[in-house]
Amino acid sequence: MLNYSNVITEEKSYTGLQMKEIKPIMKLIIRGKKREFLSAIGKSLNLLLPTEANTSSRSDKLTALWLSPDEWMIYCNKISSFDNNEYEIENLLNKNISKMNLGAVTNVTDQFVLINIKGDKIFDLFATGSPFNFNDFRKKEGSVTQTILAKIDVIIHNQNKNEVNLFVRRSFSQHLFSWMNDSASRL
Amino acid sequence: MFVINCPYCGEREQSEFKAGGEAHIIRPKQPTELSDDEWAEYLFMRKNIKGVQFERWNHAHGCRKWFNVVRDTSNDAIKAVYKMGEKPPTY
Repeated sequence: MLNYSNVITEEKSYTGLQMKEIKPIMKLIIRGKKREFLSAIGKSLNLLLPTEANTSSRSDKLTALWLSPDEWMIYCNKISSFDNNEYEIENLLNKNISKMNLGAVTNVTDQFVLINIKGDKIFDLFATGSPFNFNDFRKKEGSVTQTILAKIDVIIHNQNKNEVNLFVRRSFSQHLFSWMNDSASRL
Repeated sequence: MFVINCPYCGEREQSEFKAGGEAHIIRPKQPTELSDDEWAEYLFMRKNIKGVQFERWNHAHGCRKWFNVVRDTSNDAIKAVYKMGEKPPTY
């Protein structure tokens, strides 16, 4: 992880809502269509990619999010060390996927910021700035959506009851975080 | 404002999408043999009808896939949604 100056510096908490950035987390975007691609990913990572829309799958180390019929995001469940810029999983996938011409692997570790939100008012907060209908989403553990929050593209992963992971592009993260704090303070 | 049923992600609000104009316009096979008028016809001229229209849409803030929508332009009622390359329904 490159040591950028961080925009989200503190953990914020309100009644029924806590949010903080979790870092550094390894994140990869993988793209591919072929059946061999899916099986090669499964074998390399010991993780089946979700093929059903808006779902995710999980192993001990990794979580895979469905983004589109041929695109997934994989992220580490645990934080990696700050002084390490080498990623075993990326190297492994480069060898087994990119070099075999099965699909594309892109490291987006520094592109996306992971904001962890906890509490029972998460979806009240989202409802103030998103056109997405969260009714079914909140009931289903592991559901994933790409949508807009305060006019910013986000990926939201429903971890379990009252806890979600939100991915936002780094350049938007400061604005989104301050918007969420502002919005949370009025809930 | 209306809801579009993305064939990949399910029902989403219109603001997540980008409209891509009229669908099923075929590029001329030999563009070099066309006159300027014929080329302009292909590039710029659209039907812009009031009634049932075939359109392309892109789920720009979701899965980023293109697909086709059959929409009544007079009341924004969506008649059908189908993927790229599929046969259009008749209306």
